[in-house]
Amino acid sequence: MAALAATLLFVSVLVFVVIRVLPGDPALVIMGTEGSPEAAAELRRAMGLDRPLVVQYLEWAGNALRGDLGRSIQYDVPVSRLILTRLPVTLPLTLLAGAFMVAAAVPLGVFAATRHRRGGDYLAMVLSQIGVAVPGFWAGLLLILLFSVKLGWVRAGGFDGWGEGLGAGLRALLLPAAALALFQFAVLTRTTRSAVLEVLREEYVKTARAKGASERSVVFRHALRNAMIPIVTVAGVQLGQLVAGSIILESVFYLPGLGRLALGAISARDLPVVQGVVLFASSLIVVINVAVDILYGILDPRIRYE
Amino acid sequence: MARGPSRFALVLALSALAGIAALPPAAAAQGGASLVIQASTEPPGLDLTASPASAIAAVVHYNVQECLLKVDKTGALAPWLAERWYTTDSKNYTFFLKKGVRFHNGRELRAADVKFVLERARNPETKHPHRKRYEGITDIIVKDEYTVSVTLKEPNANFLLDIARQGSVIYPREAAETLKSQPIGTGPFVLAEWVRGDRIVLTRNKDYHVKGLPKLDKVTYRFIPDPNAVLAALRSGDIDVSGFGIGPEHVGELKKDGRFQVIVGDTTNDVILSMNSGKKPFSDKRVRLAVTHAIDKEEVLKGAMFGLGKVLGSNVDPMNPYFVDLAKAKPHDPARAKKLLAEAGLPNGFDAVLKVAPQYYYTVRTGEVLVSQLAKVGIRVKIEQIEWGQWLSQVYREANFDLSIIGHAEPWDIGNYANPKYYYRWDSPEFQKLFTQSETTVDDARRKDLYAQMQKMLAEEAPAVWLYMHPRLVVTKKGVTGVWKDLPIPSMDLSEVAWQK
Repeated sequence: MAALAATLLFVSVLVFVVIRVLPGDPALVIMGTEGSPEAAAELRRAMGLDRPLVVQYLEWAGNALRGDLGRSIQYDVPVSRLILTRLPVTLPLTLLAGAFMVAAAVPLGVFAATRHRRGGDYLAMVLSQIGVAVPGFWAGLLLILLFSVKLGWVRAGGFDGWGEGLGAGLRALLLPAAALALFQFAVLTRTTRSAVLEVLREEYVKTARAKGASERSVVFRHALRNAMIPIVTVAGVQLGQLVAGSIILESVFYLPGLGRLALGAISARDLPVVQGVVLFASSLIVVINVAVDILYGILDPRIRYE
Repeated sequence: MARGPSRFALVLALSALAGIAALPPAAAAQGGASLVIQASTEPPGLDLTASPASAIAAVVHYNVQECLLKVDKTGALAPWLAERWYTTDSKNYTFFLKKGVRFHNGRELRAADVKFVLERARNPETKHPHRKRYEGITDIIVKDEYTVSVTLKEPNANFLLDIARQGSVIYPREAAETLKSQPIGTGPFVLAEWVRGDRIVLTRNKDYHVKGLPKLDKVTYRFIPDPNAVLAALRSGDIDVSGFGIGPEHVGELKKDGRFQVIVGDTTNDVILSMNSGKKPFSDKRVRLAVTHAIDKEEVLKGAMFGLGKVLGSNVDPMNPYFVDLAKAKPHDPARAKKLLAEAGLPNGFDAVLKVAPQYYYTVRTGEVLVSQLAKVGIRVKIEQIEWGQWLSQVYREANFDLSIIGHAEPWDIGNYANPKYYYRWDSPEFQKLFTQSETTVDDARRKDLYAQMQKMLAEEAPAVWLYMHPRLVVTKKGVTGVWKDLPIPSMDLSEVAWQK
């Protein structure tokens, strides 16, 4: 818990300082070229941006501790409410992408490992090579061209909320989740393959085979189970990367998620929103890491935490 | 062999994917009286009296809130909430309000509302982005419920235009504090919903003061910044109109596509190459003229804008009634440019940095064409791309730049050249005198003459190179009617837009 608090404290300071030293004055961005510089200077004072950095930080951090992340300059609503309304997009998107990634990569990796240096292995490696090479936004555009423009099965983007029904919601997230998962799927396939290969060379696998265990049992009960630790480690990190990757795909598919909120807030210099979203996303990743640690213990009973 | 389970899982995953995809598509909202319109930038709040952003005007001005006067589709001033007005000296104005106009909250518009709006605009505490425009007001008198007179310190010929601009929208006093998220006005549409980050929905104002308008029941603005996503959304039918998102490179193919109509019109957006007159070597007029003569604007228009738009020669845009065509006044002439450079003591040319913000796609493209043209006369330009927020600080506020490219979309903005602190840093007392005269001259013919003089003087002094007018590019589905072709003011009037029966 202490480590968790220290991490978040460090992140909050970093977020605050990095965003403040960003060149570009929020008041000036709001006024743009149409407003007068005097009006921008007045606004700057009104926003309290002329006060010392330490004072601004303490005020923000103090409020954040009480759950108050401030008010969006651009949208005129509390930042926490903005985050809560965006979460039902980004969270399912990331989880769906994560599910795609695991559902496709783990079987394919195991398959490749059992066909080591044979046709199936090479095919799997070519697939994962493509996945690594194709940028997510481009894959997204190709998917739109095929499924929305050509076939007309799904919309080209947008998300009207879960109020429209579970099916409609899932359909809106399908393509972006697939495009988002592609790169991480490729990486996880490779990880799974090499982890399983490594275990298959172990003595106890030989023993299992000698005992006459079926190949299925050898691969799944002996090899995969023991290969899970590196796979879960990588997948946990990847889940964090999926959160980050959503920034780009939410723009391609114009989904009203956290990523687009952050991106828009950066260009509008909506500082309370940028700070709030980054703090929230870092907390999310810290939580994922804790969850991965707990999972280790379940996968390998030898691992115990004090 | 690991035949069974791994293959099974794969098949399961794939069929789940296909299963969700094959669900029947949601009923497309088309053909009815609703319209989905794409915009690239989401408004930073909806208060026109707090921010000058044109993204707000594109949604709110004309559609939700209106002014006493209206700039119509030809650029002329038309009576609107004021059914007539009266002035003899451009100093004392009387406005007669249309009767029976109701705000969205049901209350009738009265002269006292106009007084409140103007007083609030000139009050420094409310931080109106264009307070200067209202500072000249000395007196606002409510003569009766539908008559209000305004007195200025000195004659101001631009006052009526200022009263028609986005910052002068009339709203009820009781809504002043909530304009940012709930703008109330007298417009043809009522703000129904703003899903931050995604869409704004407007619905028909049943009590609109113009009979028969608006024609649509519902308008949904979707904010899609990426041009490729805009194209895909158009083609898949998700949006009916792209108001601001299509680049000139897509016009050709969209014109050939029978499902769409492409509207190419005029705007007040003048794309200029600004030169920092406060800095060497651009403080020398000969150098600025050399840059002007080195540029082939027709080629710029072809290379950067696929030939769409219009070549300019000075600051006033072609829709303005005082426009003088000076496109050929300073022609492309590299030999002359070299001679001017030699006269200025720079026979071998010089190095300069061109700062552009890629958020505005045309700036980078235009810059690339300019770099090759300027190189031919020995001006070695390096492009530096900076983010918009940085551009505003470095170039716009601090004038820390050599060259920059940006579109100036505000109509009637020649006064920027009369402001020596503006980022051009061009200080010409003679021009400043001309501009002050034009502001206080009442006679239209005399004003027109002053505007002609100012435009010619700018072309001669070259504080900037006026490259081209950025075209208005709108794509709609076939059957959408009533979209303005030209845009004399950066607002988008949707009251007459309809689906053809």
